Order: sequence, then C-alpha cells, then structure tokens
Amino acid sequence: MAPAKAPAGHFSILYFAAASTYTRRASEHLPAPVRARDLFALLEERYPGIGEKVLSSCAVTVNLEYVDAGGDDAEDAGRVIKEGDEVAIIPPVSSG
Amino acid sequence: MATTEPSSYAADILSEPIVKTTETIHVELTPHDLDSLAATRFVRSPSAGATVLFIGTTRDSFNGLPVSSLAYTSYPPLAINTLSTIAQAILTKHQCTKIAIVHKLGECPIGEESIVIAVSAPHRQAAWRAGEEALEETKAKAEIWKLERFEGGDGVWRANRDGVMGVKIDEGGKKGE
Repeated sequence: MAPAKAPAGHFSILYFAAASTYTRRASEHLPAPVRARDLFALLEERYPGIGEKVLSSCAVTVNLEYVDAGGDDAEDAGRVIKEGDEVAIIPPVSSG
Repeated sequence: MATTEPSSYAADILSEPIVKTTETIHVELTPHDLDSLAATRFVRSPSAGATVLFIGTTRDSFNGLPVSSLAYTSYPPLAINTLSTIAQAILTKHQCTKIAIVHKLGECPIGEESIVIAVSAPHRQAAWRAGEEALEETKAKAEIWKLERFEGGDGVWRANRDGVMGVKIDEGGKKGE
C-alpha cells in the first residue's frame, strides 16, 4: 500500500476511500516543495471538481500528523510540504 | 459524503496483522477473522472484577437497501497510532485495567465480526462506560473506511458522521445526479 519512495524533488501523496475513487489512484508523487495551504488548489488543478466534491470534507496528514490545509490555522499557515514527505488525504472515516 | 466504486473494486490487502501491544493495551488491524476470545483473554486480570466484550458485525442492509458485501481499507500506520491513543485515553479516564481494540481490514462477509473491543476494570460501571466510549471514539477517529456494495449496484464509501447515503459520482469523476 505504501508507494515507492518519492524521486528527488518530490513528495508522496496517498488517497484513501472517496479521494482514491475520484483520483482513480491510491498514491502518486508530486513535485516538492509545496505550501500546505496550496495543496488543495494544486489537486483541484489536477482533478477538476475534487475540491468541492471530496476535499471539502477531508483532513490532511503530513508524515502521520494532521495539518490544517485550509490555511486558517496560524500555526500551519507557513507549513511547507518537503521532498520525501508522505502526505495523505483523509476522508471522513467509517470503521466499526 | 460518499462516492461510488465500481463493483470490481478490491480493497488493499494487508497480508499480515499490524499490532501494537503493551502490558495493558492491545490494538490490532488484521486481514484475518477476529478472535474475540483472544481479546477477552488479553484483558483478563486478577485485579479486574469486570470484563466487557463488544463485538461489531456487518449488517446486511443500509436504510433498507440490501448490502451484498463489505470491505474495509485503512491507512495502517496512522490508524494504529490513533487506536493506541484512544486506548490509552480510555484506560486513564475510566481507570480500567486493560483494553483491546481489534479491527478487521479487507473483505468482511456480511454477518461476520468487523470490530472487537474488550475492556476490564475493577468494577462493572467503569468497564461498561469504557467499552462504549472506546467504540464511539474508534468510529469517530480511526482512519478506516468501509465500502458497502449494494445488490445490483456500485459500492459506496460510508462516512460514520453522515448517517446518510451520500452523493454519488460517476467513474470519470464528474458530478452526477
């Protein structure tokens, strides 16, 4: 399930559940660096409509920690996704 | 929110269980059938007078629609951390003795166990409350997703917080009706 290590100058992004359905892939490598608050805009360019349809209800993790990709959180506003990072798009969960 | 999967979708297969165990906490994601007796045995303790066991099984319908099959997928390294954090918080809050949370991944036939939670505590009130809260917290937070396939139709990614069917998209990722 974990993708191959990202090539130089890239980060890995994992798509789960509805995000995976929409992108039609489980993971890919994208060029780094990217500001966390620009991530959703970048994905909207690649997958038109994903923002409203999927991302609006998703959370984002970077290296297994939740970050605020909406850009409203002062602490995460300047956060940068770097080469080699593992980013994940986390739709609303449904265990049990 | 929910989107559809073609009925050919196959969940990522986890070949081996992922486990995190301490003296008092056992959390596990597994592709195998769940063993509720093993979870119960893990939490048994001479200092605990009560053990509560919850077994969640997959239902054959959603809002009256027949579900033909189910599969769970996960982000295992994150989900195991989340389960571990939940288990630790429950132990502390309810002063329980031990806790086990085990969730199934991959295909899960209708009517079979998808989650097992066992909690032990000195007295029954704490064990009841802890068991219920552990389940609710897991359903709210663990990074696990359920795909329900309906008879004669595509699959739908469930979202626990919605409690409704959700909106569908077609395969091209375009907005559907």
